[in-house]
Amino acid sequence: MFDRDIWQEIFHTLRNNKLRTFLTGFSVGWAIFILVMLLASVNGMQNGFTGQFNDDATNSIFINPGTTAKAYAGFEAGRRIQFKNDDFDYIRKSFQEEVEYISARYYTGTTARYKSETGSYSVQAVHPDHQIIEKTIVTNGRFLNQVDLINRAKVAVIGRKVAEDLFKKEDPIGKFVEFNGLPFKVIGIFTDEGDDNAERIIYAPVTTYQRIYGNTNDINMVVLTYNPTFDLTKALEFSGRLEDLMKRRHKISPEDQAGLYVWNYAEAFDDISKFSAVLNAISIGVGFLILVAGIVGIGNIMVFTIKERTKEIGVRKALGAQPKQIINLVLLESVFITALSGFIGLVFAWIILSLIGPTINTPAFTNPSVSLSTVVTATIILIVAGVLAGLIPAVKAANVKPIVALSDK
Amino acid sequence: MIEIKDLHKSYKMGSNSLHVLKGINFKAEAGELVAIMGSSGSGKSTLLNILGMLDVADSGAYTLDEVPIKDLSETKAAQYRNKFLGFIFQSFNLINYKSALENVALPLYYQKVGRKERQEKAMSYLEKVGLKEWATHLPSELSGGQKQRVAIARAMAAEPKVLLADEPTGALDSTTSYEVMDLIQKINDEGNTILVVTHEEDIAHMCKRIVHLKDGVIVEDKKIEQVRAEQYV
Repeated sequence: MFDRDIWQEIFHTLRNNKLRTFLTGFSVGWAIFILVMLLASVNGMQNGFTGQFNDDATNSIFINPGTTAKAYAGFEAGRRIQFKNDDFDYIRKSFQEEVEYISARYYTGTTARYKSETGSYSVQAVHPDHQIIEKTIVTNGRFLNQVDLINRAKVAVIGRKVAEDLFKKEDPIGKFVEFNGLPFKVIGIFTDEGDDNAERIIYAPVTTYQRIYGNTNDINMVVLTYNPTFDLTKALEFSGRLEDLMKRRHKISPEDQAGLYVWNYAEAFDDISKFSAVLNAISIGVGFLILVAGIVGIGNIMVFTIKERTKEIGVRKALGAQPKQIINLVLLESVFITALSGFIGLVFAWIILSLIGPTINTPAFTNPSVSLSTVVTATIILIVAGVLAGLIPAVKAANVKPIVALSDK
Repeated sequence: MIEIKDLHKSYKMGSNSLHVLKGINFKAEAGELVAIMGSSGSGKSTLLNILGMLDVADSGAYTLDEVPIKDLSETKAAQYRNKFLGFIFQSFNLINYKSALENVALPLYYQKVGRKERQEKAMSYLEKVGLKEWATHLPSELSGGQKQRVAIARAMAAEPKVLLADEPTGALDSTTSYEVMDLIQKINDEGNTILVVTHEEDIAHMCKRIVHLKDGVIVEDKKIEQVRAEQYV
């Protein structure tokens, strides 16, 4: 099969029929080009969607209290639900299996001052687990820890923008900044992949804030991530159970959608992955149909080639060529054209993608690219396509009767 | 070497069939140079095709070098053709994109002879037909006589038992024809068995035996005094 003579013959035929080879090859190359571009576009859309969410851990659940819309258990509608530390402890203790990381959030605003610089920022008073749930990247210093929480330490992790605003060129770590007149020690700086506003936030221990500003047990919301080994069904089942229990705890009607919000990222993610799976299937389908046209083109040309070379094949058979050797010759030629032109289409698509792909960065469409597995699959498809395209012509060639081919009359 | 008994062959031409060979009995010993003569339609080409395993007889026996040629699969026929037979055609049938050397080497390729040995062997046969200097030329760069000499070298390269020549001089002028016949005679002198189909008297007389075919039967089979082609060259 990897005989030098066969290759010599193939190259010769292709050299002698440059235009024909080009036109045939073009159809397959084009088909693969389109297929790869389509797949890359779907991939780009997927990247775009995922990018919108990757601010947070993908297995996170947010529980927000709301205002009831239905009368229930003796309470009137319109009751504001307030979460307390108890709620946080309840969830943490009741779902030790299911919950991976958990944090309460207590929101407040503050005016921060360092030397002559002041600014207004929102403060999120949280638990140490919050860093993992929000995927907060601490660039300098550290995030809050359990010791800060127990000691109700006056420490703060400030966003990059906050650091820029207040400290200018100074290193904020270890410096004291005043929040509404109380000194907090800066222990860390974080960045966030979201917009600038996400970096104008200050994190502080929830216990500290509850004590200092109001001496309450109130919390605004609970965020958590569930066991990462959960599949979608289990995740949804868990968030459903969570919702039921929290509603029961706060005496909210099970049918009341407004009293409590449990927001599960898995749901949103599921929708997106279903959507992109459908898109993927469509692009593979379309690309495949175009490829079929290319295959038919190659098959057509091969039939023509065989017709032209009938006499030559007759001579070969008279000289002792076996049918399988003739089939080999034709098939290899077909596979070679298909694989080569398909590969050129692939390389072209790849070059275009690597040139313009990284520059595309919109919310809905980010870095379209193809994976190695796509490339490998495409190559296999090409070789199979080449065999299919050459099969009928090859059998036709093998059936050439030397006596007919050689008749001079 | 070759033995055929009571060979029949007919072709279907629409609704009626054409009986081309009507019981041929023929025998050729090793080293013979036989001319098969006859006008067109006499069945001489059909006979040659059957001898060359390019066509199958309807009935009758064919033995080649003591091997019965019967019910061959395509693959087996290809192997036998390669091993037993060398073909020389009227229109040369060289492969036009292969050099003279590659053309000669082709049957050896189908015998699965290694590349290097193939080249050497092919070159020695080209030398034998006096075309060593033309080895790298394409058929389109050769004259008719040269092409036929390449074809003869190709037919001999596989070292077959029998050479079958179908009107080998049919496309050549008389001087070139004699050159080719001279070559064929010399190959025969070395002991090779050769069958030549021709309708030209002078060519037939350069063989050692003439078999005359008419309307599908052998009407005459005689040994003759060979005319050497050398004197005309």
